[in-house]
Amino acid sequence: MKSARHLVGRSLTWLVVGVAIFTGVLATLPVPQAAEGPARGVPEETFAIVDVTAFDGEAFRQGWDVWVEEGRIRHAGPRLDLPDDLPRLDGRGHTLIPGLIDGHVHSFPSTLGDALRFGVTTVLDQSTDPAFAAAVRPAREEVGRGTGADLFSAGMTATAPEGHGTQYGIPVETLTGPDEAAEWVRARKAEGSDWIKIIYEDGSAFDMEIPSLDGETVAAVIEAAHAEGLAAVVHVSTFETALEAMAFGADGLVHVWRDEVVSEADARRFAEADIFVVPTLSVMVPAEDSDVAELVRETDEAMLSAIQRQTLSARFPGGLAEGGDVAMENVRRLRAAGVRLVAGTDSPNPGTGTGISMHGELRLLARAGMGSAEALAAATSVAADAFGVAERGRIAEGHLADLVLARADLEEDVSRSHDIVAIWKDGYLVDRAVASAGAGPGAEIARAPAATLVADFEDGFEASFGAWDVTTDKLTGGSSTANVAVRDGALVVTGEIAPGTAFPWAGVIWMPGEQPMQPVDFSGREATRGDGRQYSVMLISSAEPAGPPPTMTFIAPEEWTQVEIRLEDFPTATPEVIAGLAFVAEGPVGTFTFEVDEVEVR
Amino acid sequence: MTPGRRFRIYLLEARFQVVETLREPMFAIPTLTFPLIFYLFFGVIMGARGVSLAVPTYVLATYGVFGVLGPALFGFGAGLANERDTGVLLLKQTTPMPAGAYLFAKVMAALIFGAVVVAALFLMAAHAAGVALYRWQWFALAGVLLAGVIPFCALGLAIGAWARGRSAVAVVNLVFLPMAMLSGLWLPIYMFPDVMQDIALALPAYHHAQLALKVIAMDAGQSVRMHLAVLVAETLVFLAVAALGFRRADSFSMRRSR
Repeated sequence: MKSARHLVGRSLTWLVVGVAIFTGVLATLPVPQAAEGPARGVPEETFAIVDVTAFDGEAFRQGWDVWVEEGRIRHAGPRLDLPDDLPRLDGRGHTLIPGLIDGHVHSFPSTLGDALRFGVTTVLDQSTDPAFAAAVRPAREEVGRGTGADLFSAGMTATAPEGHGTQYGIPVETLTGPDEAAEWVRARKAEGSDWIKIIYEDGSAFDMEIPSLDGETVAAVIEAAHAEGLAAVVHVSTFETALEAMAFGADGLVHVWRDEVVSEADARRFAEADIFVVPTLSVMVPAEDSDVAELVRETDEAMLSAIQRQTLSARFPGGLAEGGDVAMENVRRLRAAGVRLVAGTDSPNPGTGTGISMHGELRLLARAGMGSAEALAAATSVAADAFGVAERGRIAEGHLADLVLARADLEEDVSRSHDIVAIWKDGYLVDRAVASAGAGPGAEIARAPAATLVADFEDGFEASFGAWDVTTDKLTGGSSTANVAVRDGALVVTGEIAPGTAFPWAGVIWMPGEQPMQPVDFSGREATRGDGRQYSVMLISSAEPAGPPPTMTFIAPEEWTQVEIRLEDFPTATPEVIAGLAFVAEGPVGTFTFEVDEVEVR
Repeated sequence: MTPGRRFRIYLLEARFQVVETLREPMFAIPTLTFPLIFYLFFGVIMGARGVSLAVPTYVLATYGVFGVLGPALFGFGAGLANERDTGVLLLKQTTPMPAGAYLFAKVMAALIFGAVVVAALFLMAAHAAGVALYRWQWFALAGVLLAGVIPFCALGLAIGAWARGRSAVAVVNLVFLPMAMLSGLWLPIYMFPDVMQDIALALPAYHHAQLALKVIAMDAGQSVRMHLAVLVAETLVFLAVAALGFRRADSFSMRRSR
């Protein structure tokens, strides 16, 4: 009987252990990201970060409380009298800084999200497609959950025919003489340019010969910009052109030069002219000598998009020109002379990655002699002031709650800026996992218009952009059918799922591109929603040329309900590239009816 | 018999049943590994990670049913027939052990093996195929799947009560594999011709699979109550068939001993 008792005990133990393991397995299985929400205990929108070391844009402040209300900083200072019910985050040991401002970027649909995931909440773009800039600019005025950094942009750049800046495949109206300057600047202003960017580059610093605007024209464009109330910044790469641009009255230089070390006396002239410089050391110092590789190693790979990985590993053809050391020395001397320096990366040029390189730039500025506060100021308040960007770059009352909570004490070591606890944009937590990736293979990727409402079906079967069509499994040899009609301001889809193919479907598809199935980049857009009812409906997004499309399912109940699906939840590498969104019924076989209304892609 | 003693007997008999089953690799290996191999092939490899999660998610539910079906049918059907043939059952009947403990042990063994298969399938689906379900869905799916041992054990009991010895294994296989296929456990049922779909309506595995698919919103849209009603009714029928079988066997062995 003794051994039987022993066995009973052992059996019971096994049973308990088995049930525990089984439950443990179930409790640790992955759940859809949206279900967990971005929160994970970190507050957003209206909250306070308490007892934190805050860098307010100018200096480090110990033991501050920062009160965020509806996306803006309501109050910031030592030991605030906070409401009891305000959600709060203990900031002890951490450093809170304003969202970083990258003073020199070039923007594409994917870069705004890439920047934001690394704490760069505002980008100052030094030339991009004016239509893209115009489409994206309005988002900066909205306080709310977004998925990209705010864009301020020069838009189109001033350059000579065949000059630098014309080689990127984005539209550029070139200038041939000073008499065209006034009209050219007015056109930029009409397009919405936030300032004017001028290329003054003959390639001599790179042993190349590139057509360039002459000095007269550069001066005329600067003058015309000022006449229109716009600032003018100049791309230079030699000391000589830098001196000229200063003499022409440029407000800033968007590179430091690396052909010649500036004398202390000349450095003082730059300070006296009150011209600011965006050194862009990230593209001056070879990637091998900067800390970019180390930053990438210390970064969770899930945070890097395909495009970031690609540009980080790319190199300038023929390598960087000599002169990284000269550039560093010039920054050292300009700083010592008191010239305003703005942190900027010139990403996504080869060797840089949008967002992540900003942390490398901070390290390079520190290496060039800047203290922690000074380097962070160059990346926040100084940048905002230089380019006249309001409500950003400081932790101050009324400013947008663009905030980065760094894990470590940045005052002691600014090189830990990439170790981030949380990022808030307009008070909303930023999801740091990658949502964006590269272009789909092959097809040219168009850019998404700014409008978010796809269709409300009030005036028929028209989409506000793109087009609707019927989609069925006939594409794969099936025989399912679908019919659409617009009734009472809603799209009514009826049809029948018929057997005959592996995964039958039928429904409607919305294609945003100008050509059918042309991929369109929607990075920065968060979700789509439809009001569906009465049947199980599936949503398809596809950039892949073959194979079944990534699918998300939801149930449509009898009554109208809002369905919100996050593009980044689609199991695909390129959720922001949409060739078509389909609302379809899939198996089982049988007839179906569902209705769709108010489709929005945000 | 005191409740404590009764509990000990139930527990020990279940333990012995599990150990005995484990020592029979002829049974243990296929029932444990087949659903996993099938899932690896149809869910992970054919399901093509990163393209669509519809397939790996769908077949997770159906191979889960398949995984629970195996231990129940084989443990009860083949195991019972075998033990009756070899006289083990008769030997157990002569002990003071309540008959309930014998049945309980077999159900527990089916449940435990089913749970192992379900856990392994879930892990494979989550980590190899990238399936993500809401927390309640993982638990509900596991619960629904494991509840399937009840009708399937009843079916196994009915087979074991009528079939004899080695033929029981053949009969179980004849029920197991066609039922799995016709119930849509391997491939979605709507890919079959109508006639086969009508047959599915009669099969317990179909209704069980539909309940499992309901958890992940991929079922055929029939009512839960209908599925439950069919399962309960069929379970009762199986139990009745089993009782008849035992009564016949008893009278048969009595006649023979006379």
